[in-house]
Amino acid sequence: MSSILNGQTHDIPPDWADEPLLFLLREHFGLTGAKFGCGVGICGACTIIVDGVATRSCITRAGNVEGLNVRTIEGLAEADILHPVQQAWLDHGVPQCGYCQAGQIMAAVALLEQVRDPSAEDVDAAMDANLCRCGTYPRIRAAVLSAAERV
Amino acid sequence: MRRRALLAAAAGGGVVALIGAGAGVWSQVPVIPERPQPDSATALGWVAHRDGRFTLTLPRAEMGQNIATALKQIACAELGVAWDIVDVVLHATDMPRVKATVGSESVMLFAEPLAQACAALRDALASGQIAGVISVTSRPLADLRSLRAGGLIGASPEITHGREIVTGAPLYAADIRLPGMQYGRVLRAPASGEVQSRPLRWDLEAARAVPGFVAVVEECGPPIGQAQGLGIVAARPGALDAIAEALEIEWSIAAPPARSDIARAVDVDARLSVGVLPHVVLDGAPEDGAWDVDLRVDVPMAAHGPIEPRAAVAAWQDGTLRVWAGTQDAFYIRDFLADAVGLPLGSVTVQSCRIGGAFGGKTICTVEAEAAALTLATGNPIKVQWTRAQEFALGFHRPPSSHRIRARVAQGRITDWDHAQMSSHIMFTAAVVPPWMQRGTDMFAGDGGVARGMAAPYLLGRARAAYDMVRLPVHTGPWRGLGAGPNALAIECAMDEAALIAGVDPLAFRLAHVADPLLAGVLERVGEIASWGSTPAPVDGMRVGRGIACGTYKDTSHAAAVADVAVDVRGRVRVTRLWCVHDCGLVINPDQVRAQCEGNLVWSLGMVLTDDLPTDAGHVAAQTFADAPIPRMTDVPPITVDLIQSDRPPQGAGETAMVAGPGAIANAIRAATGQRAVRFPVRAEDFAA
Repeated sequence: MSSILNGQTHDIPPDWADEPLLFLLREHFGLTGAKFGCGVGICGACTIIVDGVATRSCITRAGNVEGLNVRTIEGLAEADILHPVQQAWLDHGVPQCGYCQAGQIMAAVALLEQVRDPSAEDVDAAMDANLCRCGTYPRIRAAVLSAAERV
Repeated sequence: MRRRALLAAAAGGGVVALIGAGAGVWSQVPVIPERPQPDSATALGWVAHRDGRFTLTLPRAEMGQNIATALKQIACAELGVAWDIVDVVLHATDMPRVKATVGSESVMLFAEPLAQACAALRDALASGQIAGVISVTSRPLADLRSLRAGGLIGASPEITHGREIVTGAPLYAADIRLPGMQYGRVLRAPASGEVQSRPLRWDLEAARAVPGFVAVVEECGPPIGQAQGLGIVAARPGALDAIAEALEIEWSIAAPPARSDIARAVDVDARLSVGVLPHVVLDGAPEDGAWDVDLRVDVPMAAHGPIEPRAAVAAWQDGTLRVWAGTQDAFYIRDFLADAVGLPLGSVTVQSCRIGGAFGGKTICTVEAEAAALTLATGNPIKVQWTRAQEFALGFHRPPSSHRIRARVAQGRITDWDHAQMSSHIMFTAAVVPPWMQRGTDMFAGDGGVARGMAAPYLLGRARAAYDMVRLPVHTGPWRGLGAGPNALAIECAMDEAALIAGVDPLAFRLAHVADPLLAGVLERVGEIASWGSTPAPVDGMRVGRGIACGTYKDTSHAAAVADVAVDVRGRVRVTRLWCVHDCGLVINPDQVRAQCEGNLVWSLGMVLTDDLPTDAGHVAAQTFADAPIPRMTDVPPITVDLIQSDRPPQGAGETAMVAGPGAIANAIRAATGQRAVRFPVRAEDFAA
């Protein structure tokens, strides 16, 4: 059993197949960018991209991504060159505590891959399911719109 | 002596079942958090120079206030060195104690000692000393380069940890991974933490059959409140849910708690009917007679709701209990753990990790003690991260408060004022003070957290303000701004009603009552940037309104806010615009102070529209964010924040706007609908057209 993880094929050990994908990524592969926030797919802190779709890894069974293309925030930058969304997050000083931001960024990347030139309403609709208690929403909105111009 | 668990059975295949030595008898004498004031000599321990580079050991917890960036700006400016040659590391308890990161004090109290220490280090290096220990002689503030605007001070460099956050690098306690690490949880009864509970019976065989099962641990750390737990350990975190379910634990739960109807327990009118409130904040004597404004304002319990459920990793390494924690007070965690497990302070080390949101809620020792107990019992490194349901059930929360607030108006001025509040504890809480001490603190100390912000920042004639607290079956405690948010909300609602009665514009009415020119300054400025006096943009089919409010936090920082709202025919409220002006003295990092204001305004919106924590029979009923919602992207309007340029010494910024935002939104709803919101969060049915 294997999947493509950030561009490389990796085996999914059989005893991890029934775990949430989030824990396989964080504890087995050491990809700790995606976070545990609620465990039931409400908050979005665990958001990753599976075959191009923003996906809640906390409610996705690890074994179910067999053969699929899984992307996490660790795979976004190319060497030292940040993805435009990551760079926009720094330019707009988005993170406060930062805990939800990997999920926010992956949701934004998935949006911009599907909608090249989103309106503010598109951004709100796509990002509404990713919670941030610090209240960085206005900056997330601005960062996504500015990244859209650079993707 | 360290409590040891008995290794009862070691089956093949690495499956181990541990049976503890019986329920621990835990100390009834609480570990009191020590809160030393920072000074320059201590601050020398925060900066080090080696081989041309500097290390700043951050003396605060980093939880999103981005204090790592602001204090690095102070250090670089005072040392006179480039941004890139100063490395920032988070502190562990192997440095001299620093006080908990609470109360928006980090720039206010730590900037000057850090600047003094950096100035001393700079001068020592300049004189050719490149090794050894230096001393610091405090110099006048005017001689410190980093406490005046210019260069890095007043600039907004890329935030410390920013690159790690956007690339997903490990920063938080739950990101720690150690060889041989296992995953733990301590299960507790679904009951009030204020009644005794403990596990009676459980199905060990069923739990053993769950793939990934490692152990059941009875000796799983001190109770939380009076809830003793049962520990479980698994090879993979996902197995914990299945093990918990398989155990089918039967709990012993003492009689239902007193005062389980929480709204009734804090009913201020019921309390006033049986006597005066004992804790006095303003001691004026309003005259008897009819009141022009007479509001009952109710604010319910609310969770902190950080997206990071608290987490800790514990391990035995070289005879030391090492703990990684996302805590606002690593030293208190260290002291608590040493006391709980019977180790000398020097044998326990707590490493601060970046915190994924705290807001006052990560100040006590809970998950850290669970991880420590499970690592002591199993001998393996253990990671524990609470579930979301545990965050709600076992954390402490903003206490509910109930306010009776009255004003009398004559010739455009308030002549008499009476604010009565009933709430629960914020400082001397059941989470930290054992029952035998509570009576004493209740009688003699009151609760400064409940009182915070009750002294309105206005000249109110004959003004009285007093409060009382009642112990609740659900744990309460500090929450962003403590009592200041709810108190200011009640005060600003009453001020607005008084302005209506007086027939005076709400901004002018406030200015006529404000004593502090700095508060008047933010009020006037917010009126300018929001074009106060103009009407909000119409929204099709909606009633629109604009409101204003202001306040002072901890006597030293000031904020004023204007809100626009639109209310639909069904009474659903949308905030469509927010403005805020903020004065916290000298601003080190304007972008991050603005970020704090924005966060506070989103919290303000939450206070009025979303924040509530449902309870049932004296314990928290919420399991997920669906049961205790927080503001979302589509709730939040464009926000404009303006900072007053000031050369006052820097003050706090992490909680100030909480005194202005909620009132502005509530007053905008009043302007839009003609109805006064008095019960929060507001309910649509109360504002249907």
